[in-house]
Amino acid sequence: MITMLKQALFRKFKKNETKYHELNYLFWECTTRCNLNCRHCGSDCSKDSFYKDMPLDDFLKALDTIESPSENFIVALTGGEPLLRKDIELCGREIRKRGMRWGMVSNGYLYDSEKHISLLNAGLGALTISVDGLESSHNWLRNNDKSFERVDIAIGLAASSSRLNFDVVTCVNKRNFHELEEIQKYLIRKGVKAWRLFTIVPIGRAKEDDDMFLTNNQFTKLMDFISESRTRKDIDVKFSCEGFVGRYESKVRDLNFFCRAGINIGSVLIDGSISACPNIDRTFAQGNIYKDNFYTIWQTKYELFRNRSWTKTGKCAECKDYKNCLGSGFHNWHGDRKNVLVCHNERIEKYM
Amino acid sequence: MNKNWIRKLIGGLCLTSVAFVFQACYGPQQDFGDDLLIEGQVKSKTSGLPIKGIKVSVEDKIQYANTDENGKFSFYIEKLQNAKIKFTDVDSTQNIWFSNKDTLVTIKDSILMSKESKVYLNIELENK
Repeated sequence: MITMLKQALFRKFKKNETKYHELNYLFWECTTRCNLNCRHCGSDCSKDSFYKDMPLDDFLKALDTIESPSENFIVALTGGEPLLRKDIELCGREIRKRGMRWGMVSNGYLYDSEKHISLLNAGLGALTISVDGLESSHNWLRNNDKSFERVDIAIGLAASSSRLNFDVVTCVNKRNFHELEEIQKYLIRKGVKAWRLFTIVPIGRAKEDDDMFLTNNQFTKLMDFISESRTRKDIDVKFSCEGFVGRYESKVRDLNFFCRAGINIGSVLIDGSISACPNIDRTFAQGNIYKDNFYTIWQTKYELFRNRSWTKTGKCAECKDYKNCLGSGFHNWHGDRKNVLVCHNERIEKYM
Repeated sequence: MNKNWIRKLIGGLCLTSVAFVFQACYGPQQDFGDDLLIEGQVKSKTSGLPIKGIKVSVEDKIQYANTDENGKFSFYIEKLQNAKIKFTDVDSTQNIWFSNKDTLVTIKDSILMSKESKVYLNIELENK
């Protein structure tokens, strides 16, 4: 009874958030160049990107269209690998000059002591670094023999800063699934306070590689692992917001599932496209900063993000949990949009 | 204002204190941390000219910045009530040799309470 009441209240909350769609979080895909060649990359990034890095001034013009940014507004620099940009500190300082905060997602390969200091100097406030296993499995996924050695230095530096809101993310796959306990111990030893786990969606480079994807049994055990780990006080473990997980909803995150793409999360992508999370199918772009006013687009478009009734199709059409899930994470809709790519809840129920 | 009040009420009714704290699937967390922008300029007490290459650091912190050709520096640090800022001539005699200087900065409560806190320091160094 209480669970049903909480679910009903949360649906009301989501409806209200959707109605107001305050922009709180803006991804900037500032480069698609990357110094690694990861097996799971959803962006198919490479050293020699088709696109040039977006000039800072172009992004700032779009940013400056935002009237009265919200209290907790943050720009999240992503890529590719943002640290490949030589002007990354300047980018951060220009964002801070506007009274906004900035954070970054990095593979950690170039994050040394000097870079740590220069980024803090430039007002970096939030950082996410990927650790995808112990040395062998991390290097395998990252396709680079030195990757773990480098990320080990990076997370040590980041965890030592009391200023940074820092967390580690791990893509859970068949190779690192059996290492989760050991990875957790390693992160605690390094002083990491927050750890987010997610699974891989069959898009980009990953879709042909079976090693990337957990079985239903493994996925359910991952939920159990996260649920049990959340009783620990020394590290905050959670599942990412990638999809609805049914009976595990209240056990694996701070908040029930709510895909905020296009509701509170927007993006400026490498070619100027205006969208939401960068892993969302690019055909959902709502405009382009090179011809549209970014904030006008944010306020007036995004219909498919804010009214998800179109996702009640394929396996979602008859689903009894649809009203709490609303078609899973938006990034799970690719191609012809006739069916959701992954249904986490279905995977759990098939195993149970 | 009204809009936010309604949002917070409904968020609160959801029996969760984290309704407005979130992060995108693989993006960084939001940043609720407090920091302080320290900026300023370093000049020669004798000539009044700006000095390039002075290392500006905060005692017991790893962060530092070097002054540019206009003697200017700028960096964000974690918010502190008192900070000892150290000015060190690290290039020695390369562009005259200046004495090092430590300055204790006490940050006023009004600055510490503000969302975008900053202090500006004008520093003069004596020739050695």
